[in-house]
Amino acid sequence: MLDRYWECHTTAEEETILRSFFSQADLPEHLAPYKPLFDFAKQEQQVKLGADFDARFSELLDAEATAQEARHTHVRPLRLRQRFVPLLKAAATVAILFTIGTAAERAIVGSQTEENATQPVLTDTYVPSSQVEAVLTPATTDATATAQPGDTLAHTVLPAESEVVAE
Amino acid sequence: MNELSFRNDVLPLKDRLFRLALRITLVREDAEDMVQETLIRVWRTLEEGQPIDSIEAFALTVCRNLCLDHNARREQQNVAFDEQAHDLVAADETPFDRMVSAEQHAQLNALLNRLPEKQRTAMQLRDIEGRTYREIADVMQITESDVKVNIFRARRAIRHLLTHQPSP
Repeated sequence: MLDRYWECHTTAEEETILRSFFSQADLPEHLAPYKPLFDFAKQEQQVKLGADFDARFSELLDAEATAQEARHTHVRPLRLRQRFVPLLKAAATVAILFTIGTAAERAIVGSQTEENATQPVLTDTYVPSSQVEAVLTPATTDATATAQPGDTLAHTVLPAESEVVAE
Repeated sequence: MNELSFRNDVLPLKDRLFRLALRITLVREDAEDMVQETLIRVWRTLEEGQPIDSIEAFALTVCRNLCLDHNARREQQNVAFDEQAHDLVAADETPFDRMVSAEQHAQLNALLNRLPEKQRTAMQLRDIEGRTYREIADVMQITESDVKVNIFRARRAIRHLLTHQPSP
């Protein structure tokens, strides 16, 4: 098996057997020179990191985690165009609102004008008393002649009005 | 596979990653840095929700690539790290060097570290981590045949050392 070992024809299991065999204290004389090799392999398996490695590595890992978090939350500087985007949006909103407001105002004013056009025209039918007197004068000539001084047509025709004046 | 937990599925691989990183970079401090970077990258991948077939193979691949990049950077800086690294690794092995085969262990370690990167990585993953040839091929991004060739050459060099050195 040892010859096969030198030729790299042994399996991992066979090499475990060889290491176990050569770990014995008493070996045949012709095999004794090879004992140091298998002892060497066994001892090398015990080589370990220093006791302070875990603490140092833990610190390094924390620093790495912090750095990774910082990389993920890194703020990229805004370009000039990106900076003005909110301003442009606000301006566009104001323009739209202004347009809508203007359109609404015009619609309301227009409807009011149409309403005025459809309402009937009221004419003043009031006739002044002098005109009525002028019209009635020829018919009441006799009555005027027999009337007492100070009497007026209004006084005679509209007694109620004279009462209001007296009060 | 997105339900993988970093703490339960990734963090336990740290020592295995460290051994591979140490075998490639040959310097303990650099290997620790490579393991940290590997774990962070695997964590990021999991956070991003990317599908991973085998978390261990993925982590080992990331680790090896990081180590190779690291070595390439060092070579560009004209740092003659091989000799320096061997000394550092040898100094690290003192707990094991106190064992009976301490000297042989150090010699084997030094020999393995002098091998080309592909040979020592393949040898590390096979003889120390117990990975299959298929898994090693995935991690190293080469064919299984190439994996076997690299392990064969590494074992041959070690066998030569063991059979030609004076007995202790």
